Amino acid sequence: MEIFVQQFINALALGGTYALLALGLAMVFSVLGLINFAHGELMTITGYAMFFAIAAGIPFPIAVILGIAAATLAAILMERIAFRPVRDANTATMLLTSFAVSTILHMLFQNLISARPKAIPVPDWMIGAINLGGLSIGVIQVMSITATTLLLLALTVFLRRSILGIAMRAASLDFPVTRLMGINANAVIATAFGISGLLAGVAGVLWLAQRGSVDPLMGFLPVLKAFIAVVLGGLGSLPGAVLGGFVLAFIEVSLRAFLPDDWLPFRESITLTLVIILLLVRPEGLLGRKDAVR
Amino acid sequence: MRIPGYLKATAAALLLAGTSMSTAVQADDHEIKIGYAGGFTGYLAPYDQPSLKGVQLAVDQLNAAGGILGMQIELIVKDTRTDTAQSAVAAQELVDEGVVAMIVSCDVDPAVASGVIAQAAEIPAASSCASTPTLPDAVGPYMFSNYTADNLQAAVLASYAREQGYENAYILLSRDTPYTEKLPEYFAEAFQAMGGNLVAVGEYATGQQDFSAEVTKIKGLDPQPDVIQTAAYEPDFPAFIKQLRAAGIDTPVLGSDGIDSPTTFGLGDVAEGVVFSNAGFASPGSPLEAYEVAYEAKYGEPNDTVFTATGYDLMMVIAAAIEAAGSTDGPAIRDAWDNLENVEVATGLITYKDQNRVPVRVVALNMVSGGERVHVGDYSPDPSMIPAP
Amino acid sequence: MSEQGNLLAIEGLAVRYGAIEAVRNASLEVREGEIVTLLGANGAGKSSILNAVMGLVPVAEGRVVFEGQDVAGQPPERIVRRGMTLCPEGRHVFSNLTIAENLKIGAASRRDKSEAAATQADMLALFPILDERRDQLAGTLSGGEQQMLAIARAMMSQPKIVLLDEPSLGLAPQIVDTIFELIVRLRDRGATILLVEQNVDLALEIADRGYVLATGDIVLSGPAADLRGSGDVERAYMGSH
Ligand SMILES: Nc1ncnc2c1ncn2[C@@H]1O[C@H](COP(=O)(O)OP(=O)(O)OP(=O)(O)O)[C@@H](O)[C@H]1O
Ligand SMILES: [Mg+2]
Repeated sequence: MEIFVQQFINALALGGTYALLALGLAMVFSVLGLINFAHGELMTITGYAMFFAIAAGIPFPIAVILGIAAATLAAILMERIAFRPVRDANTATMLLTSFAVSTILHMLFQNLISARPKAIPVPDWMIGAINLGGLSIGVIQVMSITATTLLLLALTVFLRRSILGIAMRAASLDFPVTRLMGINANAVIATAFGISGLLAGVAGVLWLAQRGSVDPLMGFLPVLKAFIAVVLGGLGSLPGAVLGGFVLAFIEVSLRAFLPDDWLPFRESITLTLVIILLLVRPEGLLGRKDAVR
Repeated sequence: MRIPGYLKATAAALLLAGTSMSTAVQADDHEIKIGYAGGFTGYLAPYDQPSLKGVQLAVDQLNAAGGILGMQIELIVKDTRTDTAQSAVAAQELVDEGVVAMIVSCDVDPAVASGVIAQAAEIPAASSCASTPTLPDAVGPYMFSNYTADNLQAAVLASYAREQGYENAYILLSRDTPYTEKLPEYFAEAFQAMGGNLVAVGEYATGQQDFSAEVTKIKGLDPQPDVIQTAAYEPDFPAFIKQLRAAGIDTPVLGSDGIDSPTTFGLGDVAEGVVFSNAGFASPGSPLEAYEVAYEAKYGEPNDTVFTATGYDLMMVIAAAIEAAGSTDGPAIRDAWDNLENVEVATGLITYKDQNRVPVRVVALNMVSGGERVHVGDYSPDPSMIPAP
Repeated sequence: MSEQGNLLAIEGLAVRYGAIEAVRNASLEVREGEIVTLLGANGAGKSSILNAVMGLVPVAEGRVVFEGQDVAGQPPERIVRRGMTLCPEGRHVFSNLTIAENLKIGAASRRDKSEAAATQADMLALFPILDERRDQLAGTLSGGEQQMLAIARAMMSQPKIVLLDEPSLGLAPQIVDTIFELIVRLRDRGATILLVEQNVDLALEIADRGYVLATGDIVLSGPAADLRGSGDVERAYMGSH
């Protein structure tokens, strides 16, 4: 029983990080119809901002804030510089642009900073664990669950209460008609990118605290997971992205925890197979268009 | 497609910077051409970029001392972008440009792709840092290894573990790369051959970050392991050891050269006492220390990875082979290379003679202590203790 | 060319989708306080005109003069802020938002939020059914209710002129009557309306003037009373096929 609860908490913590990333990806997708493959690079930018801040002697908590701010700013700039010029082009063009942005950032990191990982020393208190009656919950896990909960709450309030938030939900369904409401398209899109950057920044901090270093290619894997989560949850649905992130984490952790040893080598393929089965049962994703944000 | 012009320009400039690094000197009879087809961008960049820096330092030193066979060395560098097909193309270009020996990528697949081209042209080639001991035979008699082989490191780690009196071992492996899969398996094989017991095998995916499920499983093992061995490296190793220690498991951990990086030394308390193998320790008065001084003088920053030194070593080995052959003829160089004995390089001595093109070189064990590297010792294991590849 | 007193004047408008020329050289005027109807068969180019006026599709040629200024090529949000809005064909309510949220976002362009609240109260009074269901998702409304919501939402920006694109589309005759009554009431309260319709009789009944569009060209125009029952409209329709 204990081991189930422990693994449940493990999945919850991992799911939080996936959910934040997936939500950022879905946010941009819902207003632009673009899967931004350079999303992972925002996490990398958080990492480098933290690396340089720490190297300059800035205390860790402030480095964290700078890291998140850097990702937010980078996301907004990415939209302004790379995506706005191709906004009216077709989806394939935008997708290719996002690949190009990702590749260019990889090259810039590799050639201007270093191809080798840069260490991000994390304070010792973050590495500890809290013991609760036989359960051990890592401080980073607690932070992940707390940050995810707070961000999701804040975002829900924003999306329900503010005009811009309502506009973003409206835009996810029908962008042209949202503009007919007098909503500035640039504002909606820039906000979506800004929020996606913020979420990627927070996820980046959690991810970096685990891995202890930043390297040019670190964003690739998380964006892949987030993409799976978004598709699983239903393209265009924001709650779907969050749910997809948690479901993916639960599948992954359960397989790693409870598969017999002989089956372990196949866990990744089993994960993908389960995702595909879920999509066959519900081709529009767990919360497809119709159930999009309320 | 409407990509803004300045983006295109930036990309083009970067591509050029990446691909045209070759030292553009006019070829003439007084030059000897050595090629390096490596992954200087893409996922091998963290290994091939440092290797290249070491190779360039060696070329500088060799040329300053009069070159090889009295000829200056021209190093021709091609970026494979870590792409297997491009690795073959780059190797062919090097052959066409008349190189007499070739350095190829740090990973098995691209190294094989380049290697078969060199093999066909009867030009000796060696991977900068691939450590899979089966690599040379996968290509043929013109293919050499350079880096410390996985089975060699594993044997050293296993004998150290037995020396410490560890009885029960747990290994954590990832089947995503031969290195992360085979090295722990070689360790388990050697450890068991030396009378130890393997408790369990854990698996992870490269880049998975979250080791909570594996750590929870380790906690439930019976008997509890008294040593954990893994070839995981960044970003997996830091994530693993943090979560392991956070769960209150203080079992000693043995790692391999992949974790020889500043990140490991920046991990703080969790990495305290971790022992790992690598290609050498820069003890005072050692050639490696002299190398580090020369490195810093050339590049203006301290060396932060052993891959620069092994790149340097490889260039020195190639120079030794050509000198020994007394000619730039491919088959002659190959034969000379295959018979090299105790070549002095930055990390110590390297011997190819009778080793089937996988060199014997020293393995150093290091301990992480107070964020610093402490030398445990240098090991040259008895060949009978090394698991067969 | 633009006459004094025109709130909106479309002059020589052309709309193209690649090689398809959907609208050729169309001109029409709407004066303040009028209901003007734009009639035409399926595919005649009516929606294309409205969408081009609003900046949703590019204007290939011509001018769109609103309050004496050419707004052709401006983005929809700017045109809405100037005081012209469109209630699009097919209603396009935000089905994932509640009715209250649909109305709230309709007032996004207004600075004074208390005035916007007053307009919302006004609209809910005009459409009691919407008031009853204000916290329900718009997607759960019937077609007629959705059309009412779409009109109410358009009115939330307090436009000087509202372009209505086939408000009767797909609705039962009874509901259509209700909708038309509402349009008249909106005009009586001071709104100016450009009404695109296929329901020729009803449209001409409430309109002051009318235009008939056939395959991209204005083929007939005049006071609604003259067009009504003259047979010219039917002929113009037929001629276009
Ligand atoms: N986005 C588009 N791309 C290509 N062609 C279009 C587009 N929109 C409309 N058309 C074409 O332009 C012509 C005019 O269409 P439009 O929708 O303006 O007609 P309409 O008069 O509104 O018809 P209906 O009464 O059916 O709504 C049609 O032939 C239509 O197929
Ligand atoms: Mg139409």
